[in-house]
Amino acid sequence: MLHRGLIISVVAAGLFVASCGQEELPPPPPPPVEEGPNQDSIDAARRAAEEAARRAAEEEARRAAALEAAREALTAMVFFDFDMAEIRSDAEGVLQRKVDVLRASPAVQLRIEGHADERGSSEYNLALGSRRAEAVRQFFVNAGLAESRFDVRSYGEEQPREMSSNEQSWAQNRRDEFVITAGGNQIQVPGGGQ
Amino acid sequence: MRKGVRIANKVGRVNRGGVGRALGGGTALLMVLLSATAGRAAAQVDTIPGAVRHLGVVYESYVPTLAISPFTGRFGGLTVAPRVEAVIARDLRYSDRFEMMDSIPLAPGGGAVDYGLWDQFGADWLVTGQVEGLGNRFVLVLELHDVVFSEVKERARFSLPRPDAEDFRMAIHAISDDVVRWITGEPGMAASRICFSMESAAGSQELYVVDSDGENLRRLTNFNSLTMSCSWSPDGSRLAFLSFASGDPAIHEMEIATSQTRVLEFNRDGQPMTPVYHPNGEEIIFSLADGAESGLFSWRVREDCCLWRLTAGRWNDLSPSFSPDGRRLAFNSNRLGVAIPQIYVMPAESGGRPDLVSPYLYGQGGYYTSPDWAPSGDRVAFHGRYRRGSYHILIADVAAQGQRLLQLTYEGNNEDPSWAPDGRHLVFVGERDWGFGLFVVDTVSGRIRPVLSGVRPRVPDWSPSLASTEPPTREN
Repeated sequence: MLHRGLIISVVAAGLFVASCGQEELPPPPPPPVEEGPNQDSIDAARRAAEEAARRAAEEEARRAAALEAAREALTAMVFFDFDMAEIRSDAEGVLQRKVDVLRASPAVQLRIEGHADERGSSEYNLALGSRRAEAVRQFFVNAGLAESRFDVRSYGEEQPREMSSNEQSWAQNRRDEFVITAGGNQIQVPGGGQ
Repeated sequence: MRKGVRIANKVGRVNRGGVGRALGGGTALLMVLLSATAGRAAAQVDTIPGAVRHLGVVYESYVPTLAISPFTGRFGGLTVAPRVEAVIARDLRYSDRFEMMDSIPLAPGGGAVDYGLWDQFGADWLVTGQVEGLGNRFVLVLELHDVVFSEVKERARFSLPRPDAEDFRMAIHAISDDVVRWITGEPGMAASRICFSMESAAGSQELYVVDSDGENLRRLTNFNSLTMSCSWSPDGSRLAFLSFASGDPAIHEMEIATSQTRVLEFNRDGQPMTPVYHPNGEEIIFSLADGAESGLFSWRVREDCCLWRLTAGRWNDLSPSFSPDGRRLAFNSNRLGVAIPQIYVMPAESGGRPDLVSPYLYGQGGYYTSPDWAPSGDRVAFHGRYRRGSYHILIADVAAQGQRLLQLTYEGNNEDPSWAPDGRHLVFVGERDWGFGLFVVDTVSGRIRPVLSGVRPRVPDWSPSLASTEPPTREN
């Protein structure tokens, strides 16, 4: 590209010199015509290959994103009301997405970790966290998943996400967290990976 | 006025033959007064329902005045005797059983005790001490003088560890408890420690112990994990607790002297929680949450075997605590509803129906947890709140099934009471405007003192008496 531009400039400069000069010079020889494969077809092939690679990369990125979304669906937290272990309606969608991924990924196992906010006693909150973890395991079992794929435990109020003592922080702390304990490299995107 | 009280007390002591019994008489009087003021007391309370008593209306029994004469003796240098004296003086003040006289810089009268002078100062009891050497060993010669009767009530020689030894303070605490017993006939609590969990500098929750007077705070575990709910064995040599140190939550047992720790393997699914020793020291009772069901189980630690189920249900039974005779068990359960945990007592052998001791009123809610059975056997301490109130420390009379309660705290939030070995004091976690701390409340006077402040302790457990079993040489 650079060469061609340079040639054109040189030619143009020659023409300019010629037009301004007094002597008529013989015209420059035409540039040699290359024989063999056509440059355009090479470019086209390269473009096609590049396009295919780009498509593949995009596809790969899409798959990775879908996989990442599936992984995120598995580990997304669910939240609870004060002193309650019932699954909230806003948590059902989150849990249903987990069920979809879990159905598609039979190798995956999860640890469900229940947490409570700081109000109430430390020991009672251990039990409350345990009920919250168990409520989600029950949701999975009711959805037809094998109970043995889930390990439940409670950290009570001992591992808050938010340290402030106000309702906003407490709401963030009343939660179940999810840890992938097996099959983390065998997550399948629900719906056949499309 | 003051003279009159003292004279009345002297008469009381003469007539009843001891301060302990004089206090008993005061309690009887208190009950009479209470029935007269019950209506007023009930009207004052808007937090806890039921017949809650408040220490504000309690008639204060006579509290004897105790003086300490500066300890003498130069063995080990000039600083040892004052150090020993300072520890004993603070222990006796913290016992809440005496009106402590301000220290007097010199022993009045020099050698012999001038009873008339101490009587004039208003002292009922006088403690004198002398630090002596026996070879290279330290000996404290202690005398308890009954100023009212102008005589030496007790005299004993205690051998002391070297002042730089780790157990120096604890040996002195044991002597303080002897003085309490000499005067009142009741056990003390100076020679004891409090175990609790707290976040370490590294950010993990570890076990700590602190002496009853707030000294000697040290970390027991370094598991880099969540560790909590420690419980002392009846002989004070071991701790049982919950820890995630091995990955999964498990009950651990630690030999304190060696820090040797083992995991109790139950071979059963579910998360174990809230371990506590049976008074016989051979079993641990704990809660196991397994699926939707949970219950209290026992495990024989000596034989390391035999999981035995005490309760079960589709609710949580947790935080068990034995009566001192091991026959009954107090525990926390949400069997009446998930958000309204209550305190129950039941026969430890199982089969009996649990009785409520927290003030549950149908449809009224209330949240009561963390029971601890008193060494005296007749009361259970716990904490709780009514509706959206604050959390406070309460004591229920077991026989009265939630109908007789004593509220001990009024400020901030207060959780997780645990009885001292004297059966009179409770340690608890308090939250105040300035932060959290570990507090001790005297259940007789209502006096509250901080043990540790500016830290966030959790689930404290007060040890049994850690006084050495070696008795002092008494010389009277």
